[in-house]
Amino acid sequence: MNKDSNIPAHITCAIIDDDPFISDLLMDKLTQHFPEIQVIAVAKNGHEGIEKLMKLRPKVVFLDVEMNDMTGFEMLLQLPEIYFKTIFITSYRHYAIKAIRFNALDYLLKPIDLEELKNAISRFKKQDMQSSLADPIHQALVNFSTLDVKEHVLTLNIHDGQLKIAIKDILHIQGDRNYSQIHLANKKKEVVSKTLSDLATILDGHYFFRCHKSYLVNRYHVQALVNNFSLMLSSGITLPISRRQKQPFLDWFSEKMLP
Amino acid sequence: MDFSTSYIDLSNVRTISRGDSQRMEKYIRQFYELIPERLELLKKALLEEDRVQIRQIAHKMAPQLQFFGVREISNPIKRLELEYISMPKEELHELVLRIIAKLEDAIAEVSTILKHHFE
Repeated sequence: MNKDSNIPAHITCAIIDDDPFISDLLMDKLTQHFPEIQVIAVAKNGHEGIEKLMKLRPKVVFLDVEMNDMTGFEMLLQLPEIYFKTIFITSYRHYAIKAIRFNALDYLLKPIDLEELKNAISRFKKQDMQSSLADPIHQALVNFSTLDVKEHVLTLNIHDGQLKIAIKDILHIQGDRNYSQIHLANKKKEVVSKTLSDLATILDGHYFFRCHKSYLVNRYHVQALVNNFSLMLSSGITLPISRRQKQPFLDWFSEKMLP
Repeated sequence: MDFSTSYIDLSNVRTISRGDSQRMEKYIRQFYELIPERLELLKKALLEEDRVQIRQIAHKMAPQLQFFGVREISNPIKRLELEYISMPKEELHELVLRIIAKLEDAIAEVSTILKHHFE
């Protein structure tokens, strides 16, 4: 479908979105700025998307998070295999942003910004040279199919790849300016270049609580309130609770634990 | 093509069109087809006091309105998206009516552009 290109297209892609404005805009931006990309399919809903993906097998799929007939995640779950790179398309205030970030999935905000599109395609090219199996979408779909939140696996992008940690294995996270130390149940520690606030917005609020400006604790490992302003974790370590957070902490901790 | 506009800003449409008047018309016509349709749904949802539907329609329209630079609408839409459950009924009503009025102005302007420049 690319017309303006003198360079042979070698990356095939599909656009699946129920908003024709977004599909057209993305198609035009791809055509104008990425001669190496060929749009081979445009679908206006999930059902049509499944049909075209199975028939045409593009390398990259730009997928709307929420369509009239199903969500993008539901559509992916219906496919027998995912051999392509998925780049989600969503709006800033959509509830799925949290899940997308939890799973370190690639996404673009509507209306599509050209710089963000360039970055997403550049990430795809780097990843494609490694393996499509490295795409975090595979883990994301396992998470979506698992009801028990503590079994979900958090994926974080780190300098040399991805870090995957099951929620139940995180004891607490300690913030250190632009970095965070993730303390694990096996006594190991992972350092990631994300602020504690970043991680607090990604992680499930039922499991994780900011008990102090420097600490985020996992309720799965909180054993007891030690004194007025400390809590003890399953590892035996005690962490402070800030004065302001004491009552919210008690309210959070007294909520029924999810199964 | 030079358009003088009061309710919309066509900078993004110009950029993506790169001087191609057919492409420009495609985007403008698409606005003229999609937004009135969604506006009618918004009016119906307001009448039925269906807050979830109001939020959904606002959410769906937001990227296109942002692209067309519909003036003074991004904050009201953002409020609808965030406060659609908690906002008092009268305030919600007033906010949606304000959005409807702005969209009607924008649609009228787009209609004039289509009539004068593309027909």
